[in-house]
Amino acid sequence: MEQVVGEREAEEFTVVARKPYFGLPTACPICLPLFIYLKLAHFPFRLSFNSIFPDSDQIPYVESGTYVAYNNENSGVVECLKKDGIVDLDSEFQSAPDWVSIQAMINSWLADALTYELWVGTDGRSAYKIYYSDLSWPIGKVLFLKQVYSVKQRLGITKDNAEHREDEIYRRAKIAYGALSTKLGEQNFLFDDRPSSLDATFLGHVLVTLHVLPDTSVLRSKLLEHDNIVRYAEKLKTELIESGSSSSGPQFRSVPSSSTPRKGPSNWSSKPKSKPKREKTEEEKTFKRRAKYFLAAQLLAVLLFLSVMGGYDSGDLELDDEDEGISFN
Amino acid sequence: ARSSTVEGSLKYKNFFGYGDLWDGSLAYGYDHSAELSAGVFLPRFKGLVTPVTARAYLLSQDWLKFSSYKERSMGLSLGLFSTPYHDLAYNLAWRTLTDPSQMSSRSIRRQLGHNLLSSLKYTFKFDRRNSTMRPTRGYAFVSTTQIGGLTPDSRSLRFLRQEFDLRYVVPLGFYHAALNFGVSGGVVFPWGNGFSSRPSSLPERFFLGGNISPVCALGGPTALWGFKTRGLGPTEPKRQVNNENADPSGVDFLGGDLAVTALADLSFDLPFRWFREKGIHAHVFACAGNVAKLTENEYRNISVQKFVESLRSSVGVGLVVPTSLFRMELNYCYILKKLDHDRAKTGVWLTFSAAS
Repeated sequence: MEQVVGEREAEEFTVVARKPYFGLPTACPICLPLFIYLKLAHFPFRLSFNSIFPDSDQIPYVESGTYVAYNNENSGVVECLKKDGIVDLDSEFQSAPDWVSIQAMINSWLADALTYELWVGTDGRSAYKIYYSDLSWPIGKVLFLKQVYSVKQRLGITKDNAEHREDEIYRRAKIAYGALSTKLGEQNFLFDDRPSSLDATFLGHVLVTLHVLPDTSVLRSKLLEHDNIVRYAEKLKTELIESGSSSSGPQFRSVPSSSTPRKGPSNWSSKPKSKPKREKTEEEKTFKRRAKYFLAAQLLAVLLFLSVMGGYDSGDLELDDEDEGISFN
Repeated sequence: ARSSTVEGSLKYKNFFGYGDLWDGSLAYGYDHSAELSAGVFLPRFKGLVTPVTARAYLLSQDWLKFSSYKERSMGLSLGLFSTPYHDLAYNLAWRTLTDPSQMSSRSIRRQLGHNLLSSLKYTFKFDRRNSTMRPTRGYAFVSTTQIGGLTPDSRSLRFLRQEFDLRYVVPLGFYHAALNFGVSGGVVFPWGNGFSSRPSSLPERFFLGGNISPVCALGGPTALWGFKTRGLGPTEPKRQVNNENADPSGVDFLGGDLAVTALADLSFDLPFRWFREKGIHAHVFACAGNVAKLTENEYRNISVQKFVESLRSSVGVGLVVPTSLFRMELNYCYILKKLDHDRAKTGVWLTFSAAS
């Protein structure tokens, strides 16, 4: 049940998150669960954006007067709000036997899978739009490359084990989706048909996977295999985001995407997509090998040219000397 | 300079044989700033009339104690044109504002992040004073104009900043005495769509206070005797972590978009030969200043009367020790007027200033 501190009711709460994109109020997978959590709790707040600090671990944060709850404190903003007695949806669920395991699965396997897919698996195009599109190009580019490197370091991805790690990440995501699909069944929420913070976290993950990742995403295709999860996400998206609640703040303005319009849920294919990544990697290797041969051939040609021209030039000089000798005589 | 600094540098002359001068330097400021830079001075570059300078720098400034943020800049500055009266320089920098303490106020939180600074700065300087360490006659005028946002990219920092300084010194004809009058002012404003409702960039704002002497400072409105670094101006409460321990001094100084300072300083020799030989003299002074916000539509609420009514002021007397490197002042300052959150104290102050 939600608990609201009376003395804070007079001060408006503001959530500072990353910018809206792809039809979502905030397209960042860390910020969206907080937005959904407050919506599930029918907690009134305003939404504000910071689009010049993509590498900050303080965002999202909630502020009201001199009170601030940062993302990098006390295990996140949701936990801060619970601890400070502002909003708590989980008071009756945390003793549930599978609460911890489901929480661990969502916050580790699914979070890692989405991080991988967003920054590495799909070349980071969507991530660039969310995090760096409001920064000047040189700064955005450098920060993006730094973040991709950081993600690879955190997930333990190297050139040697890239394919193996990718398989492992997708496999774990598939297991997690299966378990959560079974847990959810045809209920409206994960636990006792009432909303909890895990619904907010899971729903945030699902919405980003469905709306932010491109159609060729392997993770997205694995998620689409579970119709009940897709229905759960779309239903709650309609209730919480598109229709808006009476206690919410100003409606967000989503930035229109420059890509082709996304298809609705009824048109999403549930068939898993083929895996173009492997073929592309082999093609890349072949291309790189041929490029190396070409460059080596060019270098050899230049060396041959220089050596041949060097010998011809010396011959000319000798002939000139003979001419001079003949004319002198 | 906003505060006194200690600097060490290495120089190498004529590396390429064109009279080029290379240098690397490390500077540390009293205001917790550190700068590492390397530069080159080319007296004659491609037929240009004036020397060209280029400088790459890494600058770090710690304003946590005053405004709850740290500033890091990495950039390149090019001196395009420089004569005794005119100076034109271009600056390109990547600037980042962070708050590792996580205690900043709302206005500061909104400014944290990365920005690209691409600006052109023009300075006109006309200094006819007989000395910068102890002026006893003459006058000086300095005007600095800076335009930021000179890139096709609309996401870079866009602002317009104007400062001016006016000094006039009247010799009094006894005990080598002179009356020094000065007034400095500055204004900064963002430009572009919706400029009047946007805040100005935090590092570009004006902050008054510090341990430099207003007599020497010719870089816009910066110092007031008796007021600490960033010690006056608009403030905002910092984040409250524990409600039971409400700290009354827990405010961030936000700086202002409009600043004005004025000073009057009477300097005179002391009646002791030893002091006169060393150049040590005394002075009596008075100063006043104020900082106000104009952006985010605050200019509608400001008036000359309100600005004058909230002027801070101080008077004092002190000893001035000029050296070949800097001017040191040992002053007793009395604060005539300050507002609630201002960081000023009546008492003994020590200031160090370089000649400008």
